[in-house]
Amino acid sequence: MTMFKAMMLSTALAVTSIPAAVMAQETVTVIKPTPRSAVFFPLVVGEALGYFEEEGVSVNLLPSDTSIPYVAFVQNGQADLAMLDPNETINAVIAGANINTVYEVMQNAPEGIAVLKGGDYTSMSDLVGTTVGLVSDRDRAFLQAAMDVAGHSIDDVDTVVLGESGPTLAAAIRDGTVSAISGSVFDWAALVANGIEIDTVTPDELLASPANTLAINAEMIDDKRATMEGFFRAWSKGMYVGKVNPDAVEQMLRKAVPEEWEVEAAGMGLFQGVLPMNISTTERLGDLQSDVWTGIQPRMVSSGAIENEVDVSTFLNDTYIDAANEFDRDEVEAEAKAWMDDNM
Amino acid sequence: MAVSDGISPPRRIGLTMPRRRLLTHAVIFLVLVGLWEIGSRAGWLDPLFYPRPSNILRSFWLIYVQNGNVWFHLYATLGLVFAGFVAGSILGVGLGALVGFQPLVRRFIKPYVIVLEATPRIAVAPLLIAALGFGAPSKIAIIMLVCFFAPFINTLSGVVNVSEDRLELFNSLGAGKMQVLRKLVLPEALPVIMAGERLALTAALSGALVAEFIQRDQGIGSLILIYTRNLNMASAFACIFTLTIIGFLIFRGMEWIDNRIAFWNTEAGMARVGTKRALAFRGAHG
Repeated sequence: MTMFKAMMLSTALAVTSIPAAVMAQETVTVIKPTPRSAVFFPLVVGEALGYFEEEGVSVNLLPSDTSIPYVAFVQNGQADLAMLDPNETINAVIAGANINTVYEVMQNAPEGIAVLKGGDYTSMSDLVGTTVGLVSDRDRAFLQAAMDVAGHSIDDVDTVVLGESGPTLAAAIRDGTVSAISGSVFDWAALVANGIEIDTVTPDELLASPANTLAINAEMIDDKRATMEGFFRAWSKGMYVGKVNPDAVEQMLRKAVPEEWEVEAAGMGLFQGVLPMNISTTERLGDLQSDVWTGIQPRMVSSGAIENEVDVSTFLNDTYIDAANEFDRDEVEAEAKAWMDDNM
Repeated sequence: MAVSDGISPPRRIGLTMPRRRLLTHAVIFLVLVGLWEIGSRAGWLDPLFYPRPSNILRSFWLIYVQNGNVWFHLYATLGLVFAGFVAGSILGVGLGALVGFQPLVRRFIKPYVIVLEATPRIAVAPLLIAALGFGAPSKIAIIMLVCFFAPFINTLSGVVNVSEDRLELFNSLGAGKMQVLRKLVLPEALPVIMAGERLALTAALSGALVAEFIQRDQGIGSLILIYTRNLNMASAFACIFTLTIIGFLIFRGMEWIDNRIAFWNTEAGMARVGTKRALAFRGAHG
């Protein structure tokens, strides 16, 4: 009888513990500007194909527009990762924040300076003495750098923060309230879809810059190693699908974020704009380009975006990059194809 | 042929007064919408700011039926609204009653509450998020802050402004504290408190939007941001009208609850309850 009870108990434990082990998920909390969106499609693809789940990771996004710097949330432990632009990262490091940049989500700047196509303004120099709109305060640093490259200063233009609202941006540039808008490819897509043709006058020198990089509290790097490696591997797999099967990515986005596709032209414009932005140009996906980070700093100093240059080895840390790239490319490609076959 | 008895007022096209009023409202509404549609089609209205009503109608279909993506956000927003409202009301009514009954507490607490009310919530919201973290708790705290003041002030004035003569009468008849509370203070203060609750619940919707504009993870507020960013103004308007309808229903719902709870505040309520009680009395006594 005792033997029978023990067998029953062990069977019950085994049966109940298997799902528990399978379901055990570590949450990675990421603070970033947008909720799930085409703008950062590797996350959506990774979730659609179950890559995050396979790694035992569930992703909790903190999409926010708060006046408190994102880095503060990493430091106080409310977020595991913060999505930062280079000037935010370097300023945080200068301010003494103990953070490490561990993954480059975008390796080319999505930011740009847009003007009305066929209008009076065709170069950065034309903007001197005019009012330039900023999508958010974060875009001031980019405008600062762009003016600097063109041999001018941010003081040569008036700036106004327009906000992310499409109608405000569209009306401001269409009606000539502002000469140009400092924003990103995500902002232009909706304008173009609504018949407002734009050109960019962004200096080429500024396009080679990491953007939306992910930073972690340096003290947590080893504590969360397994979870972070899983998170970045799943992200890289999503990125890889974008490279080999963009049609599958498009369909996954249509399902996951239908609100971005209600106006077909806007959805497609956004998708085509963000697709190349999210695919790494380095051999290792998400790799940290030390030379680029070093190269952009003198310009950032001269434009006043940062106070002084910082040795990139103090904050760039590629400790997760190898693990993030350890996956079978052919298998991922086959899984994306299988998803298309099953869902289309 | 219609025959009039010469006594009863003629019923225009066979409609009662409330139905006629409803019909008038519907006609006015349809004329306004029609003018909007014509204005949009004629190019008098900027499509960036005023999408066509027919497109808004199509967006309602898209977000509620075809894509069905609004439901998740709607539940999220309503959940927050009610949680924040309940928390704000409990705090507002509780503190209002405490401050109302205790002059000493009133002297010390009231200035802080007034300062809190004067502080713009939108400025405090990021600080609340930093303090409480992302997610529902900080959102509920923002809504609670928005909802707190009206119940607090109304409860306070309801309790403080109890008729002195009646209070004296109760005291002279030797009524206990609980009797004074139950038979005098509550009946006098309840209509005022309920008016505060009505204001609080409609304000809760605005509080939820503020919270969702800052924390954009879910909710109608975050959906509006997505739509306006993508210049999909028809769907943005569909979301805004959804909130308008919810706000209206909430207000009317609170009015209905108010009439049920503080029935003695209106003649119709008194008549309704009086009739009900009379019927119950007759039933009990054959």
